[in-house]
Amino acid sequence: MSDFTLDGINGGKGESQISRIASWMIRYPPIFTLLLIVIVCVVIGTISPEFWQISNIFDIARASVVTGLFGLGFLVVLAAGGIDMSFAAIAGLMMYWITTAVAAYAPWMPIPAIILLAALGGMVIGIGNGLLVHALKAPAMIVTIGTQYVIHGFLLTFIGTELFVNIPLSMENFGKVELMRVGAQSGSIAILPAYVLVLVVAAVVTWWILNRTLMGRAIFAVGGSADIAERLGYDHRKVQMFVFAYAGLLAGIAGVIHVASNRLANPFDLSGNELNVIAAVVLGGARITGGGGTVIGAVLGVILITLIDNVLILAGIPSTWQTFVIGCFIILAGALFANSSNR
Amino acid sequence: MNSIGTIPKFSQAADEASQSDIDTPFLEVRGIHKRFGGVHALRGVDLCINPGQIYHLMGENGCGKSTLIKIISGAQPADEGEIRINGEPVTSLDPLGALRAGIETVYQDLSLLPNLSVTENIALSEQLVAADGKLARSLDLGKLTETATRALKSVNLPTDKRFCSTEVAKLPIATRQLVAIARAIASDARLVIMDEPTAALTKREVDNLIEIVDQLRSRGVAVLFVTHKLDEVMSIGGHFIIMRDGEKVQEGDVADYQKTDLSFWMTGRKIDVVRYRTTEIGAENLLVVEGLKRRNAFADVSFSLAHGEIVGVTGLLDSGRNELARALAGVEPADGGSIVLDGKSLHLRRPVDAINEQIGYVPEDRLSEGLFLAKPIQSNIVAQILDDLRDKFGMISKIRSRKMAERLVKDLQIVVADLNNPVQSLSGGNQQRVLIGRGLTIAPKVFVLHGPTVGVDVGSKDTIFRIIQKLSSQGMGVIIVSDDLPELLQNCDRIIVMRRGRIVETFNAENLEENTLYQAMVAENSTGKQS
Repeated sequence: MSDFTLDGINGGKGESQISRIASWMIRYPPIFTLLLIVIVCVVIGTISPEFWQISNIFDIARASVVTGLFGLGFLVVLAAGGIDMSFAAIAGLMMYWITTAVAAYAPWMPIPAIILLAALGGMVIGIGNGLLVHALKAPAMIVTIGTQYVIHGFLLTFIGTELFVNIPLSMENFGKVELMRVGAQSGSIAILPAYVLVLVVAAVVTWWILNRTLMGRAIFAVGGSADIAERLGYDHRKVQMFVFAYAGLLAGIAGVIHVASNRLANPFDLSGNELNVIAAVVLGGARITGGGGTVIGAVLGVILITLIDNVLILAGIPSTWQTFVIGCFIILAGALFANSSNR
Repeated sequence: MNSIGTIPKFSQAADEASQSDIDTPFLEVRGIHKRFGGVHALRGVDLCINPGQIYHLMGENGCGKSTLIKIISGAQPADEGEIRINGEPVTSLDPLGALRAGIETVYQDLSLLPNLSVTENIALSEQLVAADGKLARSLDLGKLTETATRALKSVNLPTDKRFCSTEVAKLPIATRQLVAIARAIASDARLVIMDEPTAALTKREVDNLIEIVDQLRSRGVAVLFVTHKLDEVMSIGGHFIIMRDGEKVQEGDVADYQKTDLSFWMTGRKIDVVRYRTTEIGAENLLVVEGLKRRNAFADVSFSLAHGEIVGVTGLLDSGRNELARALAGVEPADGGSIVLDGKSLHLRRPVDAINEQIGYVPEDRLSEGLFLAKPIQSNIVAQILDDLRDKFGMISKIRSRKMAERLVKDLQIVVADLNNPVQSLSGGNQQRVLIGRGLTIAPKVFVLHGPTVGVDVGSKDTIFRIIQKLSSQGMGVIIVSDDLPELLQNCDRIIVMRRGRIVETFNAENLEENTLYQAMVAENSTGKQS
C-alpha cells in the first residue's frame, strides 16, 4: 500500500542540515519566530550586557499586553480569511468613552464591571463589522478601514479630543496591582503588573476556541475556502459574526488595559497601531491569505515586535532603525513561509 | 482489505438493505425541474437509487447531470418535483439534511479544505452534523481520530499520525481523491455520489478505486458515478442513466448494451472506436531530445520527433511523464541533456523561451495552469502573442486580436456566443479548444499536448482528435502526454512508456493492444510493490 504514502513530500534524503532546519521551521512557523527572538536577545545582550535585567523582561511583558490582545483578535479574524483594520479604533473609542463616562457618572464602578462594559461595547461594534462584511460581501479589509475611520471620527467629533488624566480610581488601582516585585542589585525595583495575566488568560481562551471547539475548526475551514466550507454545511455568516465580535471584544478589553497602565486616556492613542499588530501576527507564521496561524505564533510575534520596539536602543542602535529591522524580519518571514504554501 | 468485518455499522446497513431492497428504494426523485434564469436545466427528471447498487449518470457537458446531483446532495433546491428518502417525502433538502440522510457527495473539485489536516477533513463533518450545524460545541478529539482512522483503513490509506496530521494541500491529487472518498464513507453513508472521480487518476489508481467501490456495495451502500468515461462504465458495470438536454434519455443495465450504444445516446450520434491517425510522417527529424534529465523527476530521456509525427508519452503518475511535458514547455526546466529543434540547440529555462522557439504547450490542468477563467475568450486566445499584436503606439490592437480569435474559433469549431464572454462560461471541451487555439497562435513547430482531453465529453474529444490530426498533416510535430490509453492508441504513431523517470519502452502504435501498453506502464510496480 505504499502507493499512497508521503514519499514525495519531503524530497530526497541527501538534503543538507540547513534545508532540513528550514523545512522544519516551515512546518512549525513559531520556531522561526522564537529563533528570531533568541537572535535579537543574544545580539543585544552581547553588545550591551545590561539588557539581561529582570526589569527589561518585565517591561517587555508589560508592553506586550495591549498589542498581544490586538494580535489575538487579529489572528482569529485572519484565520477565518478576513482582515480587521478597525481594532485599534474600537479600543480607542472604548477606552476614552468608558473612562470619561465612568469618571463622570459612576466613579464607584469596580474594575471587573468596567472591563465587562468595554468588552461588550467592543463586541457590539465588532458584530457591526461582521454584519457589514457579510451583508455587503465586500472585502473585509476595505469595510474595516471604513469603520476604522468612522469610529475614530465619531470619537473625536462627539466624545472628545482632550487628554483625560483623572481616570477612575478603580482603573488606576488595577494598573498598580503587582504580580511580582524584584529588587535589582542597583537598588531599583522591577515590578511585573498583574494585568499581564489578562493576556495570558486571553491567549489560553483563544487557543481553546481555535483548537478545541467546532467554532475554531469552522473558522479555519472558512479561512481555507469559504465556498467549500459552506458546501460542507459550515455556517459562513455565523463564523464571520463570531470572529469580528471576538476581535472587537478583545479590543475593548485592550482599551481599558491601556488606560490602566498609562493612567491617562488620550483619544489619539492606539490608532496607527494596526500595521504593527499585523506585522506581529504575520511574523508569528499566520497566513495573510487566511486559514492559518497559531496562538503561540501570534504571541511570540508580538513579543518579538515589542522586543525590537523597546530594547534596540539599549544596543546603541538609534530608534529610527526599529522599523527597518522589523521590515527586514517581515520580508524574511514572508520569504520563508511563502514557500510553504506552494507545496 | 479486511475492513469489511471491522465496521459493524456497515454490516447492519447491509442487513437493512437486503430487507428493503425490493419494496423501498433508498432515494427516489420524481419530476424534478430546475431553471436558471431562462435556462431550463432539468425538465422533469426521475431517478431511483436502490441500496447496494452502482449507478452511472452519464451525459455530455451541460446535459444537467451536475445540477441533478446538486439537488440530490442538497446544494441547490429543485424548483419542482418530489424527493423521497426511504419512502418518506422530503420537503426541502439542504447540505446538512442530505448528510444526515446518508447522502455523501465527492465533488469533482473534491471539496476538501486545503488547510486542514487529513483527519479533520474526514471526520469533522460527522461532528458538525451531530451538532446540527451549531458551532458552539467542544470537539471530541478521540472520536475525530477514531472515525478518521476507520475511514482511512477502508480506502487503503495509511493511518499513522504523520499522515493524519498532514495538510490536505500537501498531498498528491490521487491521495486527495481517496481522502475525499474516505470522508464520504466516514459516517453512515447510504449513497455516495462521485462526480468524475477518475478524472485525475491514473489507471492503477482507478483500479484501487473500483476495489473500494466494490467493498462499499457489499455493505449495502449505493454508489452513483457521474462520468464521461465509457470504458470505465463498461468495466465497472451496474445501472446507467443517460441524460441529454436536461432530460433522461435512456437507462438500463450496462451489461445489456455496447459502448457504441451508450455514446450514441449521450451524443445523439454514433461514435466508433476509430483510429484517427492517417497522415504519413516526414522523413526528417524535427526535434531531437538527448539525455534530458531533471533531478527527482526524470533522467536519460532521449527520443526524436519527425515532421508531421505524433508521439505519445505515457506512464503512471510517478513516471515522470508530467515533469517531462513541463520541461519541454520550459515550465519546470530540465537540468541536463539537450533539446535540438530544427538543428538548433535550445535552452528552455522559462515558458517564454519555449514560446519564442515555437514550442506550443497545452497544460494538463486548464483551470489552474492554463486559462484566465474570468477573462474574455478573446483575451485568453491571444495571451501569448501580445507583443506581436502591438500597434504603432504600443497598444494591443483590438482589431487584430479579434481577427486572430475569430479565425481560431472557426478553425477549432469552438462554440461561443460572444468572444467577450468569460472563458469560464464555456464547457470543458470548448475551454480546452481555447487553450489549443492559444497554443496555435505562436505557429508552433512542435505542439506539446498535456492531457488534451481531461474532463472533456465524448463529442468534444472527437473534435479535438480531428484537430490534432489536421495539425500533424500540416507538418507539425505533436507530443501527446497522457494516461488516457485509447486516446494515445487512436492518435499516435509511436508511444513512449515511462516508468520511474525513465523511458522503458517505445511502441509502434498501429495494431498495439491497450493491454500490452498498460502492462508496460505498471510492470515493475505491480509485481514489486503491491502486497
